[in-house]
Amino acid sequence: MKKNQSVLKKMGPYIYLLPCLAVFAIFLFYPFAKTIYLSLFKTNKMGEAKLFVGFENYADLLASKSFYNSLIVTVIFVLIVVAISMTLGLLGAVLCNRTFPGIRFFSTAYALPMAIASASAAMIFKIMLDPSVGIVNKLLGVDINWVSDERYALICVAVLTGWLNSGINFLYFSAGLSNIDDSIYERASVDGANAVQKFFRLTIPNLEPIIFYTLVVDIIQAFQSFGQVKILTEGGPGESTNLIVYSIYRDAFFNYRFGTAAAESIVLFLIIMCLTLVMFKAEGKGKDIEKSAGKKRNKRISKNAAGEGGR
Amino acid sequence: MKKRLVAAVLAAMMAVSAFTGCGSNSGGNDKANEDPAANKAAPSVKKEELSGTEITFWHAMGGVNGEALDYLVQKFNKENDMGITVKSEYQGSYDDSLNKLKSAQMGNMGADLVQVYEIGTRFMIDSDWIIPMQSFMDQDDYKVNLESNIAAYYTIDDTLYSMPFNTSTPILYYNKDMFKAAGLENAPTNFSEIEKMSDALKTKGKASEVLSMGIYGWFFEQYLCKQGANYANNGNGREKAATAVEFDSNGGALQILNGWKKMYDAGIAPNVGRGGDAGLADFSSGKAAITIGSTASLKQILEDVNGKFEVGTAYFPASGDSDKGGVSIGGASLWALDNKDDKKAAATWEFVKFLVSPESQAYWNAQTGYFPVTADAYEEPVFKENIKKYPQFQTAIDQLHDSAPEYCGALLSVFSEARAVVETEIENMLNGKQTPEKAVEKMASDINKAIEEYNLVNE
Repeated sequence: MKKNQSVLKKMGPYIYLLPCLAVFAIFLFYPFAKTIYLSLFKTNKMGEAKLFVGFENYADLLASKSFYNSLIVTVIFVLIVVAISMTLGLLGAVLCNRTFPGIRFFSTAYALPMAIASASAAMIFKIMLDPSVGIVNKLLGVDINWVSDERYALICVAVLTGWLNSGINFLYFSAGLSNIDDSIYERASVDGANAVQKFFRLTIPNLEPIIFYTLVVDIIQAFQSFGQVKILTEGGPGESTNLIVYSIYRDAFFNYRFGTAAAESIVLFLIIMCLTLVMFKAEGKGKDIEKSAGKKRNKRISKNAAGEGGR
Repeated sequence: MKKRLVAAVLAAMMAVSAFTGCGSNSGGNDKANEDPAANKAAPSVKKEELSGTEITFWHAMGGVNGEALDYLVQKFNKENDMGITVKSEYQGSYDDSLNKLKSAQMGNMGADLVQVYEIGTRFMIDSDWIIPMQSFMDQDDYKVNLESNIAAYYTIDDTLYSMPFNTSTPILYYNKDMFKAAGLENAPTNFSEIEKMSDALKTKGKASEVLSMGIYGWFFEQYLCKQGANYANNGNGREKAATAVEFDSNGGALQILNGWKKMYDAGIAPNVGRGGDAGLADFSSGKAAITIGSTASLKQILEDVNGKFEVGTAYFPASGDSDKGGVSIGGASLWALDNKDDKKAAATWEFVKFLVSPESQAYWNAQTGYFPVTADAYEEPVFKENIKKYPQFQTAIDQLHDSAPEYCGALLSVFSEARAVVETEIENMLNGKQTPEKAVEKMASDINKAIEEYNLVNE
């Protein structure tokens, strides 16, 4: 009897984990394994694995100009998107960190992009960027075919995505800012620090964990952008906006080559995984340097003040 | 530290979750890859037995066209005395609905009747999912006066596989006011005439743009038909499945691309974007003197222009001066799926007969701008009224009748991909990245590779 109970006690946690694991297994692990499996085959028009080709799909990819183009385009895209969404989010959050009349309106406005679906935003942008009836050309007094011109198409999609992603960043940064103890600003003021100094010496370091988290999520999110591309440019003109995720979609659901698409997915997965690992490693190193520089004390003070000391 | 670990796990999860979508297409049905049974027999069920039968109809008509189609479905449900109920379901774009069909067929839970675009024809024939319309027609001893050019597209080896339903051709739209001001009588019939007219249209006609033509694979195919040149081998993929393209070796593609590039370089035909409708906005807003578009866009154009100027229509232009071919058709047709249920199949056939009846077709034409697929519809009062209101539509009908059925266009298993390749390479050419010769070469090699791979795994 006692033995039984102890077995149950030992097994208990795993039983509790089962439902969660089942969901993960069905929706994540199984498809993931299947993707790896498919990437080793050529598939027929029904998407069934038909011909085992080993690593030929990968070899084809690595020999394909179009794939390298997608990689380059994606990297440029991610850089622009992350820069825009982080800047916009941080700027909005800092501006809205003060209380003034109408603060509610501004906070809502800055957070709003979060609530807009990428597809509908892209539709609106498409109309705004239209060369003959669009408001952008009318306001700027130019005659540019924004999404059909290779020089501008990628920038248009990236700016749209950056703006869309800025909403959630605004939220994160706002939360981070409200966690910073006001007294450290007061002390800095007494010491004669100006606004710029306060921003770079106090705000940024205190926001650092949040900034890092946002950066990681932003990069992953930017890599996954799809709806905007599908609606605004369909990967064109030429292949100038053919991001990896869009090219996966094209290969899988347009050209019906699931093998190639699966191989691309795996490559993209590896890229993002490496990127994430590198960033966490870098963040860890940064922390170590900070610690040895003796900033630890300062942090603990602000943390305690913010009421997190009960750990 | 714990927090960071959680963040890392979450981030990794997000990364994984993005790439799992492609794996969900499970296998298991190899039946589709045996040789296609071309002559599946139609069921013989007496009409009295059909009462209470419900069939599902998948279509890809949104907006105004979707409303018109729903009206026809409701009319059939109300008026048929056999007790058949049709459930019509909008499945998104042509691409979407074909994709859904592919997934649904694996579980045998799809529709009874489905609308598939013209370039999906080869795929559907090879799929082994369908009962050819010909079987129903032979069984029922049914005669329908189909337009010969339209029937020609969907007839392969003397078998009408699917019932044409919504059909269009491309035509040339021009701004009659600009042409009058420029002192021009007739619309151009080929590229070099457009070039000759461009100066007058710009200076006297005050056109800021001469030709507004979207980069669209369908137009490219039509320019080939106009030359009478084949797109692919094996008789344009009609004798048997094509194994390679032919537009490179017969010089057809190069003629089109050279002409296009020349007009682009001369500032006559700027890059207005990709897709069949991309060129329409510049025309409707009064910027461009000429545009190329589907007949199905006529109503939209007239609505957008709204009387600002007079809209003229003319035949689709040729890329060369001496081209002697005709135009092919676009649009979609209706496919009866073999669900091993005789009653449903028979009910489906009754519904198809209703849809292609002259009365339904006249209504359909008046509401959408697609052709009536049966010549008998021209006698319907609804049609006569409509043509009086939109005399421009007559051009489309004349053009179709002037084209010989032999220019009915190609069949290709990988047509949607081929179309996208053509558009991409034309875009690259216009953007100065490659010469027309290089573009043709790239098109041919990309499409041939796709065909080769398709034939390899789908034997």
